[in-house]
Order: sequence, then structure tokens, then C-alpha cells
Amino acid sequence: MGLLSFCLLSLLAIAGVDAAQLSLQSPRFTISSGDASQLRSEPISLKQRPEPLKLAPTDVLKLSFQVVEKDGEKGVQPHQTFLRFFDAVSGEEGIQPVRVSSSGKAKFELNMAKPPGSIPPTTAENPLNVSLLLGSFEHSPARYELFDLFLPASQSAPPHELEHTFHPQPLIHHTFRPEQKVPPRIISAAGAILVLAPWVVLVGFLAHIKPSVPQLLSINIFPFIATLGASEALLFWYWVDLKLGDVLLYGGVLALFTAAAGKKALATKGDLRVGRK
Amino acid sequence: MAAWLLALLGLAISACAKSSTGNSVLVLLEPSLDKANFSTFFNGLTESGYELTFRAPRDAKPAVIEDDVAQFSHVVVFAPDTKSFAQDVTPQSLVSLLSKGTNLLLALSPKKQTIVNSLAAEFSLILPPPGTPLISHFPERDTPATVIPVKPTENPIVPTKGLLPVWFSGVPFAYSPNPLLVPILNAPSESFAADSTTDSGAEGIVEAADKGGEGLWAGSQLALVAGFQAHGDTRVLWAGGVDMFSDEFAQKESAKGQQSGNAQFVRDAAAWAFRESKVLRIDSVAHHRVNETEPRETYTTNDHVVFNTHISMFNPKTSVWEPYSGISDLQLEFTMLDPHIRTSLPPVPSNPGEYEVTFRVPDRHGVFKFIIDYKRKG
Repeated sequence: MGLLSFCLLSLLAIAGVDAAQLSLQSPRFTISSGDASQLRSEPISLKQRPEPLKLAPTDVLKLSFQVVEKDGEKGVQPHQTFLRFFDAVSGEEGIQPVRVSSSGKAKFELNMAKPPGSIPPTTAENPLNVSLLLGSFEHSPARYELFDLFLPASQSAPPHELEHTFHPQPLIHHTFRPEQKVPPRIISAAGAILVLAPWVVLVGFLAHIKPSVPQLLSINIFPFIATLGASEALLFWYWVDLKLGDVLLYGGVLALFTAAAGKKALATKGDLRVGRK
Repeated sequence: MAAWLLALLGLAISACAKSSTGNSVLVLLEPSLDKANFSTFFNGLTESGYELTFRAPRDAKPAVIEDDVAQFSHVVVFAPDTKSFAQDVTPQSLVSLLSKGTNLLLALSPKKQTIVNSLAAEFSLILPPPGTPLISHFPERDTPATVIPVKPTENPIVPTKGLLPVWFSGVPFAYSPNPLLVPILNAPSESFAADSTTDSGAEGIVEAADKGGEGLWAGSQLALVAGFQAHGDTRVLWAGGVDMFSDEFAQKESAKGQQSGNAQFVRDAAAWAFRESKVLRIDSVAHHRVNETEPRETYTTNDHVVFNTHISMFNPKTSVWEPYSGISDLQLEFTMLDPHIRTSLPPVPSNPGEYEVTFRVPDRHGVFKFIIDYKRKG
């Protein structure tokens, strides 16, 4: 920004360097409740801060003072008459301008039923430091610490939806399923014996009846036995590795051979039974 | 602070430049501004290894984008009085520069509604009306009320230790909450934006505040300089005025017998904007089962898996990516739709730049991803 355009400001500012200081006359605060009854009213000493002020949600704080030149009693209207509300803990700050008449008289009202947007977020524990800033093109600036103010806690502003991703996020632990429980070996062994017992009985019976299959290896019957064995092997292969489509393809081809070999084997067996051979 | 955004794979970037992303700079400098008055800033950049190309905002050449390719690694816009730029400089083209990897340094105009000012709203900045510069009557001094010494505020971008107050003249801005936007220099609490030049303007200030909303721009919640890191890792530096970059402000005394902090401040801020400082990169990631060295195509439930990554930081002094072990809050997520595991990924003390963690794969079948999403302001 070019400075030339502000030469007027510059001249005014330079003129103000040695100007008189601004001062406050008869600053006073009053706290009244929602039903207009006065709770506290005191003049403000600029040297010593009063007891902290506390406002309930419906209370009204009124502040009045007159801005005068320090040397004289002449009231002035400064360029800047701001109340600064500052939360030293959170660092939040709010600035509220105060309307000052040309005679320097000012009145400010803070109605907690309708708090202005300039008040920073408040907490119940931390007071707001309230100070008055007086700035002028013609006078030296002045700053007065007025009092500490406790306001009802405000709701905290919602953070940006992505704000949490800019901080370490809570750790996530996976809850694993409990380890599978294995029964004691004796119980497993007993179960195994129970499962295998019918097979023992079966083998015992087979040994007893001693079945004989004299034509099993004959040239007409063995192919059927072999294709049946191949079908079993194919199902085992399916269990281990093969896809369904492969099984259907191989099984279909094998079924044709099995059917042909079965027909041949049954015919041979039939012939043997009727003693044709 | 701006964000360090690390995707799973860092971009391999040539290390021959001063900046981590290239050293060509286009300066859109208004003819009414004297180039010699910015010699400290521009010479500082040139001495660091940048190649500066100057162009008036209304000149057509050299274009910022040609054949859909950004022609410069960084663009500086110092044009507070220019309302209409050449055709290739529009808010849209500036935004598309960001998506093409070009960093921006933009100075706002306190007087006019320029395209830079209109673009500011897209970056969550809320500007006062045109013609309302920052004013402060504090402290009492011999400069105009609009030329203000500002004490540097703690921020994650520009180191403030030993930094003297910075002279500022320009426009302040409020900002809506946005984690990508990081204020670097806040306004003094006694300052405010106003268009009046005499004490009789007091009424106008109160009336503006009574309007509600953003009626009054005042106090230390306003920023004067802010950084914005876009999603593609490109950076934008917003400054409230061009004067803080000038020799006049750099040589101005801000404390008795001492030069202001301007020269140092603007150089450090530009170093961040041009991606010299605070730039991290993931060099590699690897994973394998415990007691093995090669990664597997698949891991099964309950496997104990080791994940490690190597991270470097760019050193602008040597233009070299150096191993960086200074991240203490890095996290690894093992994600199938939602993260099933989020664990810290601590640095390995014996191996600079190396971060490693061992974890047990959840007993859920599916396609999982290893994700490092490290975003911090600065």
C-alpha cells in the first residue's frame, strides 16, 4: 500500500505525539438483575481493581464514564473507545466498541439475556479481564484495566469437522476372539475310540464272513472298479484343489467311461451267474 | 500452521533447487510499485537460488499456465491497485495453479476489491470492506496510525525467537475455523480496521459494529499474515499488505537502534510458502512377517507383521532430503473400510528416519490397507 495516500494520517499522527493524554472521569458500574433490582453499584478505581464482578444469566451490567483530557476537564470523543474482554487462560478476546457522545460521556450496557456477539467464549472458572482502550488521532492513547468479570459459561463453538485429523487420534486396538479351547487328551482319545469302534466291529464281521471276489481282477470287471476308484480320487482332488467347473468336466467324462465299464462288468457278472461261460 | 500431508508414497522431487519443488518464481509486480523498494526481499530470494521473473499484472507474457502446464514453481502477486489482470490471471487460474503444484504468495489490497481479495473468501478469510485498513493508536509513535509495529505471535510456521516487532500496513482479516489455514501473524489487540482518518469517525465505527455479524474487525483474533496448505500439499501465503515486504519497512527501526524483524519474517514466511521449510517425504514403506525379511502377498489372521517406513525432511541449506526422526506422534492404521488397528509408529533410535511397529493382524478376513495419514499444522 502506498504510503502517500496516508500522508494526511501521518501528519495527524505526528501532531498527536505530544498531545494531551486521555483520562476517565467518574467511571462507575452497576449490576442489576432481570427484574430491574439493583444488586451492586460502585465507582471504579483506576488504581485498584474492584472485587471481580459476577453476572447471572439474566443480569444487566451498566458501565458509565466520561472521557476527558487529563489536564483539563474538557470532555472529548476519541476515535477509539473499545472495551476489551480477554480470557487470559484460553487467549480468546472480544472487542466491543462503546458509543461516546461529543461531550465525552459514554454508557455501555451488557445484557446477559442478549449478550453481544463480541463477547468471547466463557467458562465458569476463568474471569474475563475487562479493559478500556482509548485511541485518538489527536491525543495520546490510554489503556485502563477496569475489572475482572465472571460470566455464565457459554457453549463451546463446534470445531471444524477435519480438525481432529490434525491431532494424534485415539488408538484402536482390535479385540481378538478367544483362542480355541482344546479338550484334554484323554477325552479326545476316548472320542476317537468311540468314532473308530464301529469300524472295528465292521472289520471283525468281514473277517468272520470272509467274502470272496474271485472275478475282481478279471479283464471285464476291473475297469469298472478302476473307474469307481478314479471317481473317488477326483472328489478327493476337488476337496484339495479343483474348482467346481473342472470337477464337472472331468466327472462327466469319467461318468461315461464308468457307465460303459459298469455295463460291461454287470453283463459279465450276469453271464457268470447263469453259467453261460 | 499448515499441514504436512503425507500420502502413502512420497513424491520423488528433484533436489537441485533451493525449494523442494523448484526454483522458478514469477512475480506479478504492479508498475506503480518500485521494484527497488523490495530489493531486500527479492535479492534474498535470488541469493537463495531462486530465478525471479518479473511481469506487470496486465502483461500477457510470460503466461502462468501454458498448454495446461504451470510454467513456474511459485507465483508472487504484489498488485494492490490492479483491479483487472491479464486474461491468464483469474481466481480460477490461481486455484488451478495450486492443483498443478505451484505455490502462491498473495498480498491483499487494503484499498480495492482485487481478484486476490475476492479469492480470499475461498480460503476461509473474511475481509473487511475495501478501503478499511488496519489502524492502531497504540503505542504512541511518530508513524501514521496505519503503520503499525506488530509483535510476532507464536505460530508453527515462522520461528519467533529473537524476532523483533514487524512493521505492518494493510488490511487485517478474520477467518473461519479451518485446520488448513494457520495464522502466522496476529493483529495487536488494540488495533482495528476503520476507514476514518479523524476522531469524528468514532460514530461510524460503533455503527459498523452495531450492524452485527462481522461488523467490526478488531483485536488480536484477526490475522495479518496466514498460511494455507492445500490438499495437494501446495502452499499459499496470505499477507494483508505488500508494504511489510518493502525495504522501507525492513530498515525501519522497531526498537531503539534496532532494525525491524520484517526482513527475517518475510523471508521465513516465504521459505515456508515456497516449500523450503517444514517439508516431509515418505521415501519408502515395507512390511513383512516377524522373523522374515521379504513381504508376503497375503498375510493371514493373527500373523505378527512388522511395518516400517523411512521419512526425510528437506534441508534448504544443502538442498538434500535428510532422514528425519523428529516425529513422535506418527500413527499407522490397518484399515478395511474402517481402521481395525490404529497404533503409534515410533522412530527407531538406532536408524535415523526409520519408523517401525510390529502388530498382530486382526482375525478378520478381507483386504486391508496400511495407511499413514499424518497431518499437522505447520
